[in-house]
Amino acid sequence: MVPIVFKWIVFLVASLLAIFSAIMMVTRRNPVHSALWLVVTFISLAVLYFLLNATFIAISQIIVYAGAIMMLFLFVIMLIHLEKGPEELKVLGASKIFAIVLTVLLFVEIAVGVYYYRVTTFKPGPMPLGDAKTVGFLLYTNYLFPFEIASILLLVGIVGAVMLAKRRKE
Amino acid sequence: MDVKFPVDELILIAPEIILCGFGLLLLLIEVFLKTKSKSFLGILTLVSAGSALVFVLKLSSFSTDLFFGLYSLDSLGSLTKGLILVMLILVVIMSLRYVEREEVISGEYYPLLLFSTLGMMIMVSSKNLLTIFVGLELMSLSIYILVGLFRDNLKAAEASLKYFLLGAFASAFLVYGIALLYGSTGSLDIKGYLEVIAKGDTSTVLIIGVALIAVGFAFKIALVPFHMWTPDVYEGAPTSITAFMAAGVKSAAFVTFLRVFYTAFLPLIKQWGDILWLLAVITMSYANLTALVQQNIKRMLAYSSIAHAGYILVAFVTGEKILSSSIIYYLVAYTFMNVGAFSCVILMGRKGEENLDIDSYAGLSARHPFVAFCLTIFLLSLTGVPPLAGFMAKFYVFSTAIKAGYVWLAIIGVLNSVVAAYYYLRVIMYMYFRDPVKEIGRIDLSPSYILVSLICIFFLIYTGILPRELMLLAEGAVSVFF
Amino acid sequence: MSEYIWLIPCFPAVGFLINGLLGKKLPKAVVSWVGCLSVFFSFVCSAVLFFELLRLAPEARIIEKDVFDWIVSGEFVTRVGFRIDPLSIVMCLVVSGVGFLIHVYSVGYMHDDPGYSRYFTYLNLFVFMMLILVTANNLLLMFVGWEGVGLCSYLLIGFWFEKDSASNAGKKAFIVNRIGDYGFLVGIFLLFVSLGTKGVWTLNFSELERNANLLSESLTALITLLFFIGATGKSAQIPLYVWLPDAMEGPTPVSALIHAATMVTAGVYMIARLNFLYSMAPEIMFIVALVGVLTAMFAASIGFAQYDIKRVLAYSTISQLGYMFVGVGVGAYAAGIFHLMTHAFFKALLFLGAGSVMHALAGELDMRKMGGLKKYLPTTHWTFLVACLAIAGIPGLSGFFSKDEILWKAFLFPHAGVLIYIIGLVTAGMTAFYMFRLLFNTFYGKERLDEEVKHHVHESPKVMTIPLIILAILSIVGGYVGIPHALGGGAHFEKFLEPVFRGVSQKADYHHSLVVEIGLMVLSVIVALIGIYVAYVYFLKKPDLSEKFVKKHEKLYKTVHNKYFVDEIYGFLFVDNLLRVGRFLKNVIDEAIIDGIVNGLGYFMRGLGGILRFLQSGYVQAYAFSMIVGAIVVVGYLLVKVIP
Repeated sequence: MVPIVFKWIVFLVASLLAIFSAIMMVTRRNPVHSALWLVVTFISLAVLYFLLNATFIAISQIIVYAGAIMMLFLFVIMLIHLEKGPEELKVLGASKIFAIVLTVLLFVEIAVGVYYYRVTTFKPGPMPLGDAKTVGFLLYTNYLFPFEIASILLLVGIVGAVMLAKRRKE
Repeated sequence: MDVKFPVDELILIAPEIILCGFGLLLLLIEVFLKTKSKSFLGILTLVSAGSALVFVLKLSSFSTDLFFGLYSLDSLGSLTKGLILVMLILVVIMSLRYVEREEVISGEYYPLLLFSTLGMMIMVSSKNLLTIFVGLELMSLSIYILVGLFRDNLKAAEASLKYFLLGAFASAFLVYGIALLYGSTGSLDIKGYLEVIAKGDTSTVLIIGVALIAVGFAFKIALVPFHMWTPDVYEGAPTSITAFMAAGVKSAAFVTFLRVFYTAFLPLIKQWGDILWLLAVITMSYANLTALVQQNIKRMLAYSSIAHAGYILVAFVTGEKILSSSIIYYLVAYTFMNVGAFSCVILMGRKGEENLDIDSYAGLSARHPFVAFCLTIFLLSLTGVPPLAGFMAKFYVFSTAIKAGYVWLAIIGVLNSVVAAYYYLRVIMYMYFRDPVKEIGRIDLSPSYILVSLICIFFLIYTGILPRELMLLAEGAVSVFF
Repeated sequence: MSEYIWLIPCFPAVGFLINGLLGKKLPKAVVSWVGCLSVFFSFVCSAVLFFELLRLAPEARIIEKDVFDWIVSGEFVTRVGFRIDPLSIVMCLVVSGVGFLIHVYSVGYMHDDPGYSRYFTYLNLFVFMMLILVTANNLLLMFVGWEGVGLCSYLLIGFWFEKDSASNAGKKAFIVNRIGDYGFLVGIFLLFVSLGTKGVWTLNFSELERNANLLSESLTALITLLFFIGATGKSAQIPLYVWLPDAMEGPTPVSALIHAATMVTAGVYMIARLNFLYSMAPEIMFIVALVGVLTAMFAASIGFAQYDIKRVLAYSTISQLGYMFVGVGVGAYAAGIFHLMTHAFFKALLFLGAGSVMHALAGELDMRKMGGLKKYLPTTHWTFLVACLAIAGIPGLSGFFSKDEILWKAFLFPHAGVLIYIIGLVTAGMTAFYMFRLLFNTFYGKERLDEEVKHHVHESPKVMTIPLIILAILSIVGGYVGIPHALGGGAHFEKFLEPVFRGVSQKADYHHSLVVEIGLMVLSVIVALIGIYVAYVYFLKKPDLSEKFVKKHEKLYKTVHNKYFVDEIYGFLFVDNLLRVGRFLKNVIDEAIIDGIVNGLGYFMRGLGGILRFLQSGYVQAYAFSMIVGAIVVVGYLLVKVIP
């Protein structure tokens, strides 16, 4: 199998990249740049999923998010000429600092929680959990009920999108 | 591996299937209907809600887990489903006229109401956080759209967007909490948590998960400080949807909150009890104080709904399984007085002129004694005046707190309801003792609103004078916690 | 049938709803049919139940049926439930029977009144409440009926509210009754709490009876005294009798039904119902008897000097109620209830007769403007005569049996029984006197009618005279159910009521005192005859004698005519002072202090609310901030709790 050190290196690179690209994504003025940085984040996350043996989610992450959704994003941005981005008055307003402080605070709290986390009696389930076969099997048997509900959820989402578009037209 | 999907259990979710089927059907036939005959959709919605209610009643004696434990049928779920369906029926009856009057986009209005109700029903009768989350999202997403269904109304669009953004934010908390719980226990089933906690495995990650789930629910039931969206959204939404949200979303979210916390996390009450105590106090006090200065009746009722969530939380923090029936009682009573109050608000308006400021109500008793009378009953019930159901509800909730030893909380609650009396009675005072300030024109006395008002009044008086039957039902519902 | 006890009060309730909701739209005929039939059905039900009770063994004649749970709080459960036993069935029969006759009479009497449907609505509501009162199986439900009849009384006294005197009389009745009700209510609380602390949280009569021995003697005395205060209010006894004469402002059938036959007897019924408590407090029973007999004499004496025929009857009612209290006070509950029943017959008859006279004379009430009406109103006259004979206690009529039963039991009463007997006896003579004064002045002698009125004098229509005739028959035969052993009767009435008063009734030792009993009877008949004779001499044979008497003792006469100035004394002592206190409370305490605090608090709260409103800026970012702050607090707090 893959040596543990290699796993560590991949993990470090992917996770640092994910954080870095996320920050870049938020701070870019140009929406196209932001969108592209987001693609990088998604791909780094996909790598992390691979490391966790969640192959199905990793692949969907790339196909659905990094592929399809980001394509739509870029398409829309270019269609309505948002490349310039809205003009902002202040680069670092009080509210932004406040937001950053709060977010960091929440992050710290969760980090502290994770730091004190001790695995007790709970043992992780058998691997591999996340390959396409297992996921597919579970989705169409045990989890069929919420899966079907999720389909209605998607339908409602579509209806909503259509509604918004229709209003624009009128 | 040979797992078969239990097809024979489908009959037990007949109400859900009916709502879902009718929702899809309505979306389809809307295309073929002429604009004039859209109220046909409303009638169909009533039919589906009615038949679903019949099935809920028929199935109410069952108590079983379905679909590998991802869904379930029990007394708590059945009672809440019944309540939600009755609420849906009332809202649809008032919508029959309202949608036409305000030219709400009706083609999607009714299907979305059905889907949102479906979401609530799934949410309240599930013991698995995954299903709960999907149900909650179904409910929320439908409502985000419903809020914005006013044609040519920027306020509604703004409200819809605000609610959507903040709702997504809250959902993120909720789903993160679920993920942390799954990570620390390996379970999505709420009974699974109880097993882990009973073994004494309370890790920090688990507690963060509990906290984040609480935040998610607190948003849906509008506890301070997660309430900020409420006044804006309640004000911007079509009033029928406001009633639907105030009564339905609150009931569904509260029952689910109750189920999750009382089934799984009751041993941790020492941890979350205090913080919810604090939230209850802040919620009641903040909402009531802010409501005092509202001039817009929908905003006033929005703050009132926040305050009522605070009152219910008073009983919630006690952690008394038996006495939690008072929460159910409160939710039922609250549903009827709220739907009734909003039906009166609708009555006051006309196309393009909703007459929401309190000045419109001045001198109402002379011009429209019936409307004034109905609204007075609802406001008195919200205030908690005997012999209306609102009084019994407050009585049960506060006596629960006292019996469980939360005397101070009960005192704060009672003081708050005294403050609240001010803004409720102020409207009554305007209606009866003020001379009309402005001409509000002919108001729209359609039978559909009157019917709703009368049903609600009857219910409030009936359960106010004879609270016993409803209380027994509520006690039966909370017996699932044993 | 016993399953359907609730039907008895239910019928008038239905009548009330129909007439109340639709009355204005319905034709008069329908209103009257609904009004009368609803009460008649109650009567039929009561009668059926009565015969069912008769078929049962005496011990089994107590039937209780709970209809639904009313108030549930912890261990305490109050049910809406009914209790039928000999006592309440007698009351039911009287209330619905006499009530029905009076309803029928009202059809004629109120025929041209614009408030016709309102009248029947109130009347049905009254019967409903009264039946609730007498059939309730617990104190709380009884109190509901008690307050309900008070309300109806208020509404009906002030029925012609355009008249100031009527609405004032209504208010007076309501307020005076409230004083009594206060005592009653405090009594209920006290009883409830003091039994509750012993572990019995109940207000149900039979459970109270079973557990009454848990109460200490002094507590029982206090509770029964409080109940008696309630009874003095409702049943117009000293000191709270003042409202009843004024209550005559209401329509006359109302006076007959509420202020003579039924509602005012509620106090007597209540004491009889709670006999198990009263018999534990002999000193209070003595007070009851004493107040009763004093009221009887006092009111009778006022009756001497009134000219308003309804007022005479009102004082007579007070006086007769006094007799009933003597009955229950000396422990002769059955005798008290017996008199209650016969009184209901003849007093209702008297009032209805007076109503018939008024009807004939276009509302005239002053007996100085009557006289010689015998030939114009034959039916009214003979029925009135029967009633007068009955109330005077002439042998063979109902009043004789019931009144003598009470006097006899009073005579046997160990605590000052003879004194009570003597006062009662004198009062009997006085009763005969003033009743016949009324009779002679109205129906006999010289005609003193106004000329204009004279042309229109006519006998009342059949719908009014038939109830009179039926009541007259009842006034005669009503007493035969309770002929005492001394006269060879079977005292059936007393026996019938025995299961209710088991173990508490005075044991009449009739073997030993047969001679005495018959002797006393003869004595009271003689006294009554003397009273009648004096009246005959003064008002019929030599009318100038009475005028001379009045002139000679003008001061005394004025005092009596003005009802001993009791109203004025009460006005001076209580009303004025209360008003003064009220004004002080309003001006100083309420407006200056309370309002100041409340308004100040209100402004403060509104100011605070105004500040909080700024937080609601409308920006999504601000809302998200608030949420995240909340999340940080929640997560942080929970973490601090679990981090080791």
